This record gives sequence, structure tokens and C-alpha cells, in this order.
Amino acid sequence: MLDERGLIEDARSLGGNYHLLKIAAPGIAAAAKPGHFVMVRVSAAYDPLLRRPLGILECRPPYIGLYFQALGRGTSMLAALGPGDSLDILGPLGNSFPEFPGKKVLLIAGGRGIVPLYHYAQVCAERRPLFLIYGGRGKADLPLLDRIKALRLQGLFIFSEDGSLGQKGLLTSGLEKIVREERPDVTLSCGPEPMLAALAGLLKPFPMQNLASLEAIMGCGFGVCHGCAVRTVTGALRKVCDEGPVFPLEEIQWPT
Amino acid sequence: MADLSVDLGFRTLKSPLIAASGTFGYGEEFLPFFDLDILGGVIMKGIFREPRPGNPPPRLHETPAGLLNSIGLAGPGSEKLQESIRRLRARTPVPIIVNVCGEDDDEFVAVAETFSAMAEVAMLELNISCPNVRQGGACPAQDAGHTARLVGRVKERIRKPLIVKLSPNVGDIVGVALAAQDAGADALSLVNTFLGLAVDIDARRPVFPNIYAGLSGPAIKPLALRLVREVCRKAYVPVIGIGGISSGRDVLEYILVGAAAVQIGTINFREPAAALRITHEIEAEMERLKIGNLSEIRGQLQT
Repeated sequence: MLDERGLIEDARSLGGNYHLLKIAAPGIAAAAKPGHFVMVRVSAAYDPLLRRPLGILECRPPYIGLYFQALGRGTSMLAALGPGDSLDILGPLGNSFPEFPGKKVLLIAGGRGIVPLYHYAQVCAERRPLFLIYGGRGKADLPLLDRIKALRLQGLFIFSEDGSLGQKGLLTSGLEKIVREERPDVTLSCGPEPMLAALAGLLKPFPMQNLASLEAIMGCGFGVCHGCAVRTVTGALRKVCDEGPVFPLEEIQWPT
Repeated sequence: MADLSVDLGFRTLKSPLIAASGTFGYGEEFLPFFDLDILGGVIMKGIFREPRPGNPPPRLHETPAGLLNSIGLAGPGSEKLQESIRRLRARTPVPIIVNVCGEDDDEFVAVAETFSAMAEVAMLELNISCPNVRQGGACPAQDAGHTARLVGRVKERIRKPLIVKLSPNVGDIVGVALAAQDAGADALSLVNTFLGLAVDIDARRPVFPNIYAGLSGPAIKPLALRLVREVCRKAYVPVIGIGGISSGRDVLEYILVGAAAVQIGTINFREPAAALRITHEIEAEMERLKIGNLSEIRGQLQT
């Protein structure tokens, strides 16, 4: 973990307020594993005060790639940066996905939940059979599709709510069939909370190991502020930043 | 090179900068970022006798230059903290200060006794001012009588210097400060967070389940600075200023109004090595203003 001054090499808008940043951050890039995230300082002034947690999309030392949606003030300021701009990046943070050597792994990504799973696929696709279910509201919410198609996946299943791409509907509508047919040993998921909550129910009857990467509002990103607590089924509170962001899917108390 | 040391009367610190409770974990988390021994002290996150889960999420809400928190003093309990303190001591000689909490006065006394007995602990800070333990922000520091009774009881049972941490959410902070002082506090630290409210207009509900939360960060600095000045004008024990410090200049402002030392808090979340930067900035300001030691300007605000 280090606090590094990253230099933006390339900044790209993908439409629909989705953005890609390629940042030279050699220290972080050398240590980052799939599932890790970074805390990015978006402003030299104190508004916004806190850094923003962002997943690492890819890692090609000395570069890391970040993919995000400009939704609030912080991410909008980040989206306004361009090549030559620098920004403070703290990372790599959190636990990461285990590699699962020799296992058949199904990745389940909702919207920008693709970030850590893309990273995982890029690092691990050569070494094990990998399947990906990727869903979003519509074509505009799946702007990484060309890159995803270039991954060495054994199977790719696309869902869009409006039917503009792949099968029409939520990805959860087609999940059971895919799981029955492909019989994965492990699922790794990341996406909006309602999607993860639905997955927890849908995947329960199957004997796989299910891990989910969680998103949370964070103050510090390295375990100090206790701001990112999430409730587990035992009632305990766990910190997403340093006890996660990857947790067993069934360990989290999802809203009903 | 400027001499950063400050004299609290009962102890000299090598720097006026102390890491504030709740913003510095248990110290170890910051070892990757800088040598903690540059600090005057490190205050552990507030501790109760037993482990505490803290408040339900959400726990944070950003405001312009500020942060509302409703963490609720989540923590591992006294026993685990003792292990953390021993681990930290093995890594750095920085003075370790324990922030003592309690659901009731008996628990405050018991926790204070436990940590007073630890050789690794330099002093205690009595956290009678956390606004997030009870709904509505009630805490002992809102009442001068309660403060005096509690400080008196704790002082009787400990052999370490006692800092009493005050709340800004009172009508007469000077009254509470003097009550703590007269009951035996060796120093006063102020302020804890300001009670605030965030509203979710879509849900038409408060953002926090506890309704109110504590505001910290650069936004509160002018408010805190005024309260520190008020207390410094009346108290004879050293005052440790807290509230929105994010630069060396901020530190000198607190010293000028009379603080003997300061704590830095929320800035640690944004910038893990903030203390290192601020230390350099204090040195640079002292050089610019030709100050050899901060005692030369302490309380020298001209009005």
C-alpha cells in the first residue's frame, strides 16, 4: 500500500458518462491483484474532502486502468482530467480474489461491476475456463464490450434490460440456466446491491463457492475510519475496505 | 532548524502535532506512510471495556470541506487494544495515548484503570464528548457537574496524566472546561465533532439512522478556533486544540489563540501522510516568522 502521485497518460470518454483513465502509477501497478481498489484524490481543494474508491480495471505496469461513471461531484471532477494531469492515488487496497487454480469460474458483472472481474479475467483467463455474464440497462451501459470480447473467455452471456444488446432482461433472469449448463465451481460477482441480493437467493441451491466484491462509501480506504461497515448475516459489521471488498456472497445481510 | 517541542507542564512533547482519536486507527495502519515518531503523540481510537459493533450504516456523509460521521465508537474492546498497543510500541517510541470511553461512569473508571496500568501508555484522554453513542448526541461533557464528578473519580484511580476531551455542543464550554480542570484534569482537548444533520430529500428522511451525526474537517476550523480561544483565556491547564487542521498555518493559528498543542483528525483520512507534510509546513512557517519555539507565540494573539 502506498500513496503515489499518478500521471494520467490517457483519458477517454466512452459516452453515457463512462470514462477510462490510464494512469502511470508504477508502485501500485507492480502490486495490484484482481479485486484490489484504489482511493483517488479528485481535488487539491477540500471539496470534495475525501478520496473516491475506484476498482482497478486493468494493470499493465507501470500503468493502471480505471473505469468509472461520472455521477457525483467527485467522479465528475475526475472525468474532467486529461493527459498530463496528475492525481494522488492510494493503493492497492483491500483483499483480492483468490486465483482458484484449475477451477471453472463464472464471473457475474452488473454495469460498472465489470471492473474487478475484467481485471480477474485478464489475469486468469489463460489459466482456467472462464465464463462471464455481463448485464446493464442498455447498450450505452456496456461500453467495454469490445474489450471484453477480446478476452479469452469460454463463454460470454450479455443481457440488457431494454434489449438493445444480447438477451433482453436482467442478467439474473438467465442466470439459473447458465449455472445449470456450465456447472461452475466458483462464481465471482460485482454489481448493484439489488443484483447481488438477488444472486444470493438464486445461487443458494447450487453447491458452488460464491464471492462478491462490494461497493461502499469510504472515508479512508485503509481500515481506519470504520465508515464503510456492512452488516453480515450474523449481525456483525465488517469493513468493506480492509476486510473486503471481496466477501462470501452468503455472508452479507442483503436488504430484502 | 526550528525546535518543534512543546511543554505541557507535566510532559514535553517533541512536536505540537498529535494524531486525533478515531482518525488514526491504532497507529499501525500509518506505519507504511511515515515515521510516527515525528509526532507528539498518537491517540488510539476510542475504547470501551467490551467490543462494540458501532452504528448501522450509512456512517459517513460528506459536506463542503467537511465530513459528518456516525461511526458510534466501533471497537475491539480493552483486551484487544492492549495487544495493539504492545504491537505499536514494538515498532515506534511515539507516545501512545488511550482514548477512554464508557457507557456509564463505572465503565469510564474501569477502562481508565486498565490503561493507566500499562507501561506503554503515556497518558489518557477521557472521551466524555462523543456525540454518536446516544441518540440526540447526549454525553457527559454537556453537563459541568457530571464532568466534574466523572473526572474526579477517574483521577483518583489512575497514575497517568489525564486529558479531558470536550464537546462543542454545549452552551457554556468554558464552564465545563473549568469543571474538568478543577476536578483534576491535567489538560483539556477540544473540540470533539459538532452535532449536525444531513437530509435525504428523496427518502424524506435523515441520512443517518441516529438522525444527528458529528461534523469534522476544515469546515469547522473557525468554530473550533473560537472555542479554543475562549477556554484558553480562562483555563490554566494546557489546552490541546482540535478542529479542521489541515496545514502548518492552521497549527500556528491554534497556538496563537493559546493552545499548547493540537490534534489532527479528518485530514488523515484524505491524506495518510498529512502529519509529515504539516510538520514540514510548521517548520517552514516558524522559519519565515523567525520563531525558535512555538512557546514564543503561544497565546500571543493581539486584539
